Amino acid sequence: MTPVDKPVRIYQCEDTVNGILSAVYDAGLSGYGHQYIKIQPLTKGQAENLELFSEYIFVKTDTQKAEKVISAVRHKISEQAYIDMMYAIASCQEDRATAVYQFITYGFSIGAKICGALQLPCVERVFEIKRSVQNEEHFFIEFLRFQEVQKNPPLLAAVIEPKHRIIPMVTEHFADRFMEEWFIIYDKTHREASFHYADGGWDMHILNEEEAVKLEELTEQQEEYQDLWKFFFNNIAIAERTNKTLQRNLMPLRLRKHVTEFR
Amino acid sequence: MVFQENATLREKLAILSDAAKYDVACTSSGVERKGKKGQVGNASASGICHSFSADGRCISLLKILFTNECIYHCKYCINRCTNDIPRATFTPEEVCTLTMEFYRRNYIEGLFLSSGVIVSPDYTMEQICKTIRDLRRTYRFNGYIHCKAIPGASPELIEEAGWYADRMSVNLELPTMRGLQELAPNKNRKAILTPMRQIQNGMAESRELLGMKGGNRSAYWYTQKRNGRELPGSQADSSKDRMLSGGGPKAVRDKKSDFPQQPLSDKPASGIALPSSSKNPGLFLWKHCDISRGFVPAGQSTQMIVGAAGESDYEIMAVTEALYQRFDLKRVFYSAFINVNQDATLPALNGQPPLRREHRLYQADFLLRYYGFRADELLTEKRPFFNTYLDPKCDWALGHLEQFPVEINTADYNTLLRVPGIGTKSAKRIVAARRTGSLDFQTLKAIGVVMKRAIYFITCNGRMMYQFLKIDEDYITRNLLENDVEVMKGFGEKVTYRQLTLFDDLSLRLEGKE
Repeated sequence: MTPVDKPVRIYQCEDTVNGILSAVYDAGLSGYGHQYIKIQPLTKGQAENLELFSEYIFVKTDTQKAEKVISAVRHKISEQAYIDMMYAIASCQEDRATAVYQFITYGFSIGAKICGALQLPCVERVFEIKRSVQNEEHFFIEFLRFQEVQKNPPLLAAVIEPKHRIIPMVTEHFADRFMEEWFIIYDKTHREASFHYADGGWDMHILNEEEAVKLEELTEQQEEYQDLWKFFFNNIAIAERTNKTLQRNLMPLRLRKHVTEFR
Repeated sequence: MVFQENATLREKLAILSDAAKYDVACTSSGVERKGKKGQVGNASASGICHSFSADGRCISLLKILFTNECIYHCKYCINRCTNDIPRATFTPEEVCTLTMEFYRRNYIEGLFLSSGVIVSPDYTMEQICKTIRDLRRTYRFNGYIHCKAIPGASPELIEEAGWYADRMSVNLELPTMRGLQELAPNKNRKAILTPMRQIQNGMAESRELLGMKGGNRSAYWYTQKRNGRELPGSQADSSKDRMLSGGGPKAVRDKKSDFPQQPLSDKPASGIALPSSSKNPGLFLWKHCDISRGFVPAGQSTQMIVGAAGESDYEIMAVTEALYQRFDLKRVFYSAFINVNQDATLPALNGQPPLRREHRLYQADFLLRYYGFRADELLTEKRPFFNTYLDPKCDWALGHLEQFPVEINTADYNTLLRVPGIGTKSAKRIVAARRTGSLDFQTLKAIGVVMKRAIYFITCNGRMMYQFLKIDEDYITRNLLENDVEVMKGFGEKVTYRQLTLFDDLSLRLEGKE
């Protein structure tokens, strides 16, 4: 909807979960009219692209505001709405914050059935964004490859290049699976890494140039089990059934970059 | 025979993965299990694929044979005793180390252990048992294990394996009893169905005593329940079973023939039954095994070879349905026959194995398990083969045009599922979205309905998507086929559908029968 009578108000915020939710909080309480509101997360170093006839408001990140939004969504809408919202925010789509904002405000009015109401444009958009993030999360749960980069104590490391910020979800999966392993998952796109400790805890780190290079070097070494795995991988295919098209559909080329058997 | 006594791990892996690749199932689904302190691994209910090999099949488990030595002589099998091929045998330790090291690098979800029959069924089952017991106990592996139950092995060994494995499978090998007799002379239906029934009974007992942890229900079970039909396994030991075995009680006890022989076209599923007297004992090893995971919690599956013994799709589907209904199986897998031994008594395949036929069978299998179709709705004795050009659901819909169009805004879930282009996910989304307001065609697209198939069969608020659409068999068939040329490409064939008739698997099948 293009409003003619009123300028669009754009809430700008930090490009983080808390940043976006703080903007959602302020925008929601403004009473300005939901259809006139947009939320724009600002990426560092990105040239600002100002729209004419729009008002800009910068929202400072406030963890308390973000927590309030989360708790309201969980209690007044549903747990599913909370999950959908968090997945959508993890995406790299520029319009995700605005879509999430509309999704939440609509959700407060119609309740839990919001998640299935795909005939509403904002719900359809959140659904679409969420689906692409979940697909990517699943791809990396499938295709991420660890390598033992240190023997004593054993340390596993993996490099991935996702479009979306899926590293927390992926780490959560492996934290349950490899409770007592030390491992690092490095997201090269966003230059973030998760560190998992042998006591079961894990945390996120932003790597500097030097650390990133070092980690990539380590994962380029060869090990015996990689060799055995490649061997198994090539052996298990049935020549009479060869079907590279099907293989490519199920395992797209862009995801094969850091996958042992394709290196 | 070439025996590799001192083969390296690499050589063994080469021989024993090569020998296992014809096994179909590589699924790691059916059980959800969280990680545990002091153990390695967890399991995800929907299963996780980790790679896709050059034939497009998913690699989820480390699929290997314990040994490819075999005392049997099954004509279709690469490992039959008369073949002059390199032979090798793993040690349990080698299997465990490979599994653990592959698992921690996220190459696999777990282990799929099968084996040739070495020395005797009992001896073989013992080796499988020892391997997976070590993997659970010594290596503290909490991921997914699928292992074979060897027909003819003692019930104690099969039970023990069931406490360590997540899924077990007994291969049916061939859809018809006649086929089995001809092609696998050392095997018989009764020996195959006996462990299947034991595992079924064990799972029922485990579920009763351990609750959901003892193993969850199959998709087929939920579908039957939703449709208000008889639940799988409920007639497992009734006299009905005996009747379905093709003759009276007398005939069943006739030991010489195992099961009464009947013309197969009469009752295709007649071989899928066990007399009630063969009710297996329950579970005995509660105190000796770790029961925390339940008994075969991910259920059992089986597989059969398609296109080796001249059976019809109708026979295959009837057998499949009987396996789901009477043996409460989780999955039935089909494998397009490949003449690996160039055996003269088996059908020669010029070109590709019957992959499209296999694909149609899988589609029909999903229609049984998720969509509430019965086998006799899809095929009949008079029309015993699936249409090569149309998927089984479109084919069914074209034969039942009186039930269409379906109104998206009012039809119930079961009716929506019968519309071509609507799957279980989109049907659920339609039902959820209707709670907020009525749906139009634009929304259906967003929901994920395959419009190029669905538009002939649906209305939104009383209207079809385009006014010129006709509910007419010829018209719809022509349009569906034009759209489906693309679909065919997915199966590695670069021919148009007109040319396909030449290479159609029907011609292969006829050759096989001669």
